[in-house]
Amino acid sequence: MDHNSISDQLSAKREELFITVYKKAFPVVARYISRRGGSFDEAKDVFHDALIVYYEKPASAVLNNDMAYLVGITKHLWIKRYSENAQNIPLDKVEIGLGDEENHPSTHRLMRFLENAGKKCMELLTGFYYDQLPLADIAAKFGYSGVRSATVQKYKCLEKVRETIKEKALTYDDFME
Amino acid sequence: MTTSWNETEQIETYLNGFNDNGEALIFEAKTLLDPSLQDKIYWQQKTYELIQRYGRKQLKQEIEAIHQQLFTKPEHSGFRQKIRLLFTNR
Repeated sequence: MDHNSISDQLSAKREELFITVYKKAFPVVARYISRRGGSFDEAKDVFHDALIVYYEKPASAVLNNDMAYLVGITKHLWIKRYSENAQNIPLDKVEIGLGDEENHPSTHRLMRFLENAGKKCMELLTGFYYDQLPLADIAAKFGYSGVRSATVQKYKCLEKVRETIKEKALTYDDFME
Repeated sequence: MTTSWNETEQIETYLNGFNDNGEALIFEAKTLLDPSLQDKIYWQQKTYELIQRYGRKQLKQEIEAIHQQLFTKPEHSGFRQKIRLLFTNR
């Protein structure tokens, strides 16, 4: 089987998982938010951010069935952002660690650059470090002969992106201070 | 001879703090002797931060695409109805 169809299978499976999670959890949080006078757009906004927090938790990186946790984050985010009681939440409960990623103009420029010039490397690195996919899946997805050559390629990509960032940083004066 | 990807791997191990004490000491001694290595360590750390941002951005887009599917495709009309009712009958 060639790597394109393996790659398609992996993304189809992933999409299916997301849809299942979405269909299970969104009605629960939408009901909670609508009963408290919130809107559909508010529900969507906080639910999408909660999915990101949920996804980034190491133990749920494979989207396991931890619905209560996901629903809990969504409620928390909605109360913090939109509810009339938003001012009464203690400060230490507020920060959930999802900053605005587009804040630094130079970071934004660099990301755009990498999306075009280094797409394959960025996807490999994201698969490994952010999605934490098994190396065997990464090898299959990107068409490497095995785990070993995927590992070597990962380090080569890391080095390439590292040198690109360094070079670009010298031309963007407000870069990642 | 150390190939460059080997060195990149060593930097990763060092940043993750997985070296045993002896290895960590040897690596730190190397950084003292080689300023370009310190430089690489710094930029490699920045690279991991950037990968995190990049991944998050891709994930956001992926979630939005799933949302669009659920709220437009005919096979999800039951789900859609259920959600709409929550925000209209009140």
